[in-house]
Amino acid sequence: MTTATTSLDSARARTTAVLRRRGRRDLLKHLGLGVFVLLMLYPLIWMIVSSLKPDHLILTEPGLIPSEVTFDNFVAGWNALNRPFTVFFLNSLLVTVGSIIGNLFSCSLTAYALARLEFRMRGVYLAITLLSVMLPMHVLVIPQYIFFSQLDLVNTYYPLLIPKFLATDAFFIYLMVQFIRTIPRDLDRAAWIDGSGPFRTFWYVVLPLMRPALVTTTIFTFIWTWNDFFVPLIYLTSPKMFTVPVALNSMVDSETQGGVGMLFAMSLVSLLPVLIFFAIAQKQLIRGIATTGLK
Amino acid sequence: MSGLDRRGFLKLAAAGALGAGLTACGAGDSGGGDGTTLRYAWWGNNVRQQNYTKALKEFAAKNPGIQVEPEFADYTAFQERMTTQMAARDVADIFWVASAQVMTYHKSNIYRRLDEVPSVDLADYSKEELESFKLGGQLNTMPFGIFVPVFRYNETFAEEDGVKLPPADADWDAWSEFLIDYSKDNPKQRKGMPYEADADMVFEAWLRQRGELLWSEDGNPGFTADSVRAWFDWWDKMQKAGAVLTLSEQEGMGPDWALVGKKVLAKVGNSNHIIDDAKMFPDYSFKLRSVPAAKDAQAGHPFLYYPRMAIYQGIDDDKLEAAGKLISYNTNDPAMIKTVGLTMGAPVNPKVFEQTLAAAQGDDKESLDAVQVSRKAERRPRFEAPPGTSTWRTAMARVAEEISLGRLSTADGAKRLLDEISAGIARAK
Amino acid sequence: MSKLHRQGGAAHVFLIPWWLGLVLVTAVPLIASLYLAFTDYNILSSPKFNGLENFERMFQDDYFWAAVRVTAVYVVVSIPLQLGFALLLALILDRGLRGLAFYRSAFYLPSLLGTSVAVAILWRQIFGDNGLVDRALSIFGLELGSWLQNPSLSLSTLIVLNVWTFGSPMVIFLAGLRQIPEELYEAVKVDGAGIVRQFTAVTIPLLTPIIFFNLILQTIGAFQTFTQAHVVSGGTGGPANSTLFYTLYIYQQGFTNFDMGYASALAWVLMAAIGLVTAVHFVLSRYWVFYGDD
Repeated sequence: MTTATTSLDSARARTTAVLRRRGRRDLLKHLGLGVFVLLMLYPLIWMIVSSLKPDHLILTEPGLIPSEVTFDNFVAGWNALNRPFTVFFLNSLLVTVGSIIGNLFSCSLTAYALARLEFRMRGVYLAITLLSVMLPMHVLVIPQYIFFSQLDLVNTYYPLLIPKFLATDAFFIYLMVQFIRTIPRDLDRAAWIDGSGPFRTFWYVVLPLMRPALVTTTIFTFIWTWNDFFVPLIYLTSPKMFTVPVALNSMVDSETQGGVGMLFAMSLVSLLPVLIFFAIAQKQLIRGIATTGLK
Repeated sequence: MSGLDRRGFLKLAAAGALGAGLTACGAGDSGGGDGTTLRYAWWGNNVRQQNYTKALKEFAAKNPGIQVEPEFADYTAFQERMTTQMAARDVADIFWVASAQVMTYHKSNIYRRLDEVPSVDLADYSKEELESFKLGGQLNTMPFGIFVPVFRYNETFAEEDGVKLPPADADWDAWSEFLIDYSKDNPKQRKGMPYEADADMVFEAWLRQRGELLWSEDGNPGFTADSVRAWFDWWDKMQKAGAVLTLSEQEGMGPDWALVGKKVLAKVGNSNHIIDDAKMFPDYSFKLRSVPAAKDAQAGHPFLYYPRMAIYQGIDDDKLEAAGKLISYNTNDPAMIKTVGLTMGAPVNPKVFEQTLAAAQGDDKESLDAVQVSRKAERRPRFEAPPGTSTWRTAMARVAEEISLGRLSTADGAKRLLDEISAGIARAK
Repeated sequence: MSKLHRQGGAAHVFLIPWWLGLVLVTAVPLIASLYLAFTDYNILSSPKFNGLENFERMFQDDYFWAAVRVTAVYVVVSIPLQLGFALLLALILDRGLRGLAFYRSAFYLPSLLGTSVAVAILWRQIFGDNGLVDRALSIFGLELGSWLQNPSLSLSTLIVLNVWTFGSPMVIFLAGLRQIPEELYEAVKVDGAGIVRQFTAVTIPLLTPIIFFNLILQTIGAFQTFTQAHVVSGGTGGPANSTLFYTLYIYQQGFTNFDMGYASALAWVLMAAIGLVTAVHFVLSRYWVFYGDD
């Protein structure tokens, strides 16, 4: 904006006209996006309002304006499971952070090999990777459980973490492969010619360039692990080991739907870390390649 | 090379540290010292979880050297976890058995025989009672509650609307006519009942009154298509006359009580439901009635339903005594009932039952009274669902749903239900 | 040749975790489930080989066909809608605009909620009898009642749910847009290209690998839709099987009916179908996906 200021009147007039036009366009954009955001967020707003209502009013009084406001749901929910909810938060945090490290480490190594290195049957490897995403987890979960239970690892976090360190989240491998493939090959070819081996090239050239993919992997691993229900449910039997979703599940009675208010309240509370994380992580995403020094 | 080494080393170090942390957690969990640690698995909501956790702690306090490790989840999640654990033969030492699985587990030899565990105290039970607990002639599961099918009505609504309920000996048609009349003309435009043509226990009562059984002794359907059709017709007539909620109004089969509680005068169900359901509407008072009896109802039609718990076949032998003690505590000790309440039905132990009934008030008393009527009545034997029928209730709900949507006649629906059930049984054989 | 050899050696070092994972975590269960597909296995007793019986049974199974139909309609309708939405918003949000961070987070929020138990209650609030949609439509004299209980409308509410959670593909698109080197835009600008030309000459071609990625993975994901269907219909797939998604049916057979043999057979048929669709996508991708490394 300041650079556009010149001493020439005509130029200034032109600039302000452009700015005004852009301002008007932005306003329209904001208006459109704003309406859209409201539409998208209505359910969430309703959930927030409901969490402030007494249990019996949630299903019977549908409107957004509560006739009675109470924080009981938060208080009751926090202590509903014999121990403060912080226990489940810490458990979830441990599993989530471990999964992120695991995925970043194992998937980036695998993806680089699959996307850039020449070796026999590379296509077959890629196909196997994709294939393992295609079979629904419900038929895999029992053989996997038998395996981990034979190792006596049930009711520990190992069954949730070991797979992440062994590149089994094919989604991310494939994501990274696609990202690496958008990087012009000349860049790492240059490094090769300079005498860097595959490991140096990976570490100094490719990894910095695939930052958006790494950030995306981090975001998704965080969110999916934080929200995962089925796998922790099966492996973690002792209540003090529960992650947040397993704890939330044991609040509601699927037969009678009692405890809805508590469920909403605690769902919202458990959404907070994810939201904060996303808000921070997406800034990394925006910075993207511009700051990673692509010359 | 150095790139990977450094990176790899860092990552591995992180993984190692994480691993060490996990092991520490794990060690804390299994550390039980010299005593016996029992795994106890059950289902429900958080209130039930809290109550049972408390009761299990009380048990541990009274029995030094025994610790109880609770395994809890809601009903659906419980079954998912249980199925996986069964496959891996890694099951809790004591577990509740979901009704549809009772015979399937029995056939697969999952239960320990309880009459061989001396610490299971059976002294208070009569011979007939013990006989009715058995599966295939073996005492291998222990009932820990009793409930019976009932009609429940909202007394507050009945008074508000100035209606008089059918007399205690009214039959099914008297009830449907009453509900149709009620729905036609009441100031708040309430309906008679939710549409629950899939209410399994009330359906079972209907069959038994017609001289049939839900399941026969040899593990087949004990009923005819005619009876099923007549059952669906009873509901269909009310639906067409607007006496029950539409699927749209109640948001599908198996409606949430929180959602429909304000819209109906009465509902069919089980005697224990009043305990939790009534709490959702503290302003109303609810009453129970026995299910209506047909004029020509067969003698011995009343029955008791038992939720069951069992000891896992693969339990360590040295834990058996402790497990027996816990089963006894669950079923025979008044202290347990005091802590956990009646959400899983009336006490199964006759002495505890009488004691609890004498002291009961309000909803508790309603529910115990309903059970008492059937306990005192003559009862023909009842058999559990055979292997291969674990989805029969889903099948019934689907048929009831399609009839209600007008996509299926009651006759075709009855036939389809029987066919699906028979196919399931045949496959399991 | 020697270079290829060296790369091959390095590749296998890079692939050590993958190999371990394949052998320990993926392959054994995969092979086990393939074997189970040819058996009668009720989880409690050991599996009994029964040849092709499970596969023959599918042809006569009405629920199987219902599940195939529901899943196919869902994939065909919801994927283009969801991806179109995600791409459009990613493009809008990629350009400089005040409050971008807010919008991005706001649009992503539904994806965070998407699979929670709370969604069941939420969805009833919106599409149920006397819900938001019902009340809005009744202003125009349309009395449809609960969409969730109407067999011809219930699937569309799940499609809406999927479109509503377009956050994940949007984030991936955003990351992809960030990956495009600024220099390339500069280069075409020097040639005098306007916004439209920049878009068609740089943005879209360079984004094709990411579009392709989203298309493949979201399609696979849509074939396997489970949680949303399970949550919204309470696990029944009703009304009248109108939301009986394929994986929901697999789950019912395996976990409720204890018929893990049949469930495994169903799973492998699904895998074959997904594999086929993916293969077709890969063949077609030669004509429209542009890789920087070509």
